[in-house]
Amino acid sequence: MSKIGNILEIEKLYFNWKTNNSFALDINNLILKINKKVVLLGESGSGKSTLLNLISGIIEPERGKIYINGTLISSLSKRQKDSFRNENLGVIFQRFNILDYLSPLSNILLPFYFSSLNKDNINYYKNRAFILAERLDINKSLLFQTNSKDLSVGQQQRIAIIRALINSPKIIIADEPTSSLDYKNKEKFLSLLFQICNQEGISLLMVTHDSTITKHFDDTLILENLNKKYENTSSHSS
Amino acid sequence: MRILLHIALKSLLNRRITILLTVVSLTLSISLFLSIDTLRSGAKKSFFGNVKSGDLVLGAKSGEIQLILYSLFQIGSPTNNISWQSYQTFSKHPEVSWTIPISLGDSHKQFRVMGTNNNYFKYFNYRKNQNLEFSQGEKLNNIFDVVIGSDVQKSLNYNLQDNIIIAHGISSQSLHDEFPFKVTGILEKTGTAADRLVIVSLEALEAIHKDWKTGIKLPSKKESRTNLLNEKLDPKEITAAIVKIKSPIKIFKIQREINNFELEPLQAVIPGIALSKLWQIVSVTENIMLSISSMVIFTSLIGLITILYSNLNSRRHEMALLRIVGASPKNIFSLLLFESLIISLFSIIIAILLKQLLSLIFFPILDKNFGIYLEKQFLSIKDIYFLTLVLFSSIIVSIFPAFQAYKNSINDGI
Repeated sequence: MSKIGNILEIEKLYFNWKTNNSFALDINNLILKINKKVVLLGESGSGKSTLLNLISGIIEPERGKIYINGTLISSLSKRQKDSFRNENLGVIFQRFNILDYLSPLSNILLPFYFSSLNKDNINYYKNRAFILAERLDINKSLLFQTNSKDLSVGQQQRIAIIRALINSPKIIIADEPTSSLDYKNKEKFLSLLFQICNQEGISLLMVTHDSTITKHFDDTLILENLNKKYENTSSHSS
Repeated sequence: MRILLHIALKSLLNRRITILLTVVSLTLSISLFLSIDTLRSGAKKSFFGNVKSGDLVLGAKSGEIQLILYSLFQIGSPTNNISWQSYQTFSKHPEVSWTIPISLGDSHKQFRVMGTNNNYFKYFNYRKNQNLEFSQGEKLNNIFDVVIGSDVQKSLNYNLQDNIIIAHGISSQSLHDEFPFKVTGILEKTGTAADRLVIVSLEALEAIHKDWKTGIKLPSKKESRTNLLNEKLDPKEITAAIVKIKSPIKIFKIQREINNFELEPLQAVIPGIALSKLWQIVSVTENIMLSISSMVIFTSLIGLITILYSNLNSRRHEMALLRIVGASPKNIFSLLLFESLIISLFSIIIAILLKQLLSLIFFPILDKNFGIYLEKQFLSIKDIYFLTLVLFSSIIVSIFPAFQAYKNSINDGI
C-alpha cells in the first residue's frame, strides 16, 4: 500500500529482458514525493530506460509493485494502463521525438486524442496548449505550421514539454532530455521545465548519465546503487 | 478513430515517393482488370445483343452455329435457302406471334445487303429490348427504298435520297445498275450487325433478280422498273427467318415441328443456346485474360505488404512514441490497417477515373475499327463487387504487417 504524499513508489521490483540474461533490474525501494524533482543517474546500459518503461506500464515487471499517485500499476488491465499513463504521466524523450509530419499543435494534442477524455473539450485543450506555448515563449502561429520539420531544437524542446503537460499529468518522467544539448541550452531547458512544473504542481523524475545537472534537483538517485543486481548495495530514497 | 486516420494520412504523405509507387502499381493492376472485364462483358453484350429478337431462327439444315452466324451476324455464307411456302407455313402457324424473313446474297461495297420486310424495323430488338430507331428518314415504303445501318452511312457518307447500286453476290463486279435504290432511312447506332447492313425489301430483291439465273444475268431479258411494279413479286425462297413464339413454353414444340417438317429439310435453332456454345469456345481466352489480371492484382497486393513490412523497422521509433503518448497496441494495429486502406482506396478511385478516361478514348476506336460497341457505364455491379474484394484483400494482407507492428509496440517500450 502506497503512502499518502508519495507520487511514485516502487517496492521489491525485479525485471530482466528475456533476450538479455546478463541484465536484470532489482530495486528494493524507490520513492518520489509529490512536487519533488528527482534525478536518477545511471551509466549507459544500466537500465534507466527499462525503469521508465516499467514505471509507465509499457512493460511488466516479473515481481514487485509500482504505485503512481496511489494506483498499483500491475492491478490495471492493458487498456487501463494505456489510459492511466496517458492521463497521469507526461514523458519527455532524449530527442524530444516530435512527429515531423504532424503540425506542432497536433503533436501537442496527441496525448489528449489518445486519452479517454471527452473529445468535445478539444477547445479547452487547444487553449491550454496556447497558454503553455505563451509561457514557454512559443509563438501561437508556430503551432499551426503544416508540419514540424523546420522546428529548431529549442522549439522542439518546448513542444515536447507542452505535449508532456497537456493532459495535466501528476508526474513527468524525462529520459535524458538534456544529453544532446550544450551547457547554455541545457540550463535554459531545465529552467523552463522546473518553472512549468512548479506552476502546475507536477513532480519530476529525470533519468540521465549527466551528473552536472544534479544541483538543480531536490534529490539525486544513482541507479547502480538502487539496482541490487548491478551492485550489491542498499537502495536510496528521496 | 479520426486521429488515427489523420496520422495515417499525414504519415503516408510524408513517405509519398514509396507510397506513390505502390499506388501506381495497384492502380494499374486494378485498371487492367476493370478494362479487361469491361471489354469482355462489352464484347459479350455486343455479341448476345444481336439475338434478343425472336425465339427461334429458321433456316435450311446446316450447322446450328453456322445458321446463327449468317442469319443474325451476316458472317459467312448460307449453305442453302428455304422455300417461301415453307416459310409461309410457319409464319402463319397459330402459335407464332411474328416472323422476320431474311434474304442474303448481294452486297453493296463492303457491306451485306439484306432483304426483309418492315417487321424487321418493328420487331428486331437488341440488348435491353431496344427497338431499331431511325436517325433520319423512315422504313421501307416503296419497292426500291433502302434503309442503311449507321456504320454504312458513316463509312460511305450517304444521305437521304442518295442512290445506291447493289452488286450481285458478295465481292462481285456484276452490278444491278439498272435498278438504283434510294436511301429513305438511316438507322441509329445499335452496336449490332444491323449497323453494317443495307436493308431492302424482299420484293426488291426478287425484282432485281428477275433476269438472273444461277448467278448469271440473262442477256435476252430486260425488265423495266414500270413493268416490275405491276408484277406480283413474292419471293421464291429466302435464307432464314427469325420466329417469335406466342408462349415461351411452346418454343421446344415448334422447334420440333420445324425440325421434323416433311416437305423440306428445315432447322430451327434457339439463338441464345447456340451462341452460348460458341461463346464457350471464346471464353477460354477470356478466362486466361482475367486470370492474368488477377495475378497482377495479387502481385501488387504483395508489393503493398512488402512496403508496409519494410517500413516497420524504420518506423519503430514513431510507433514507440505513439505508444508513450497513449496509443494502445490496438491503435498501432489499426493505424497500419488504415494506411493500407487509404492506399487501396486511393488506388481504386484513381483506377476508376483511369478506366473512365480509357473508355472515353478507346470505346469509339473499338466501335469504329472492330465493331465492338461498348456501353459507357460508370461502374457495373460486378465492378463494385470486385473493387470491394480488392479493398478487403488489401486489409487482409495488411493484417500481417499490422500484427507485427502491434507485437513490436508491446515489446519495444520507450
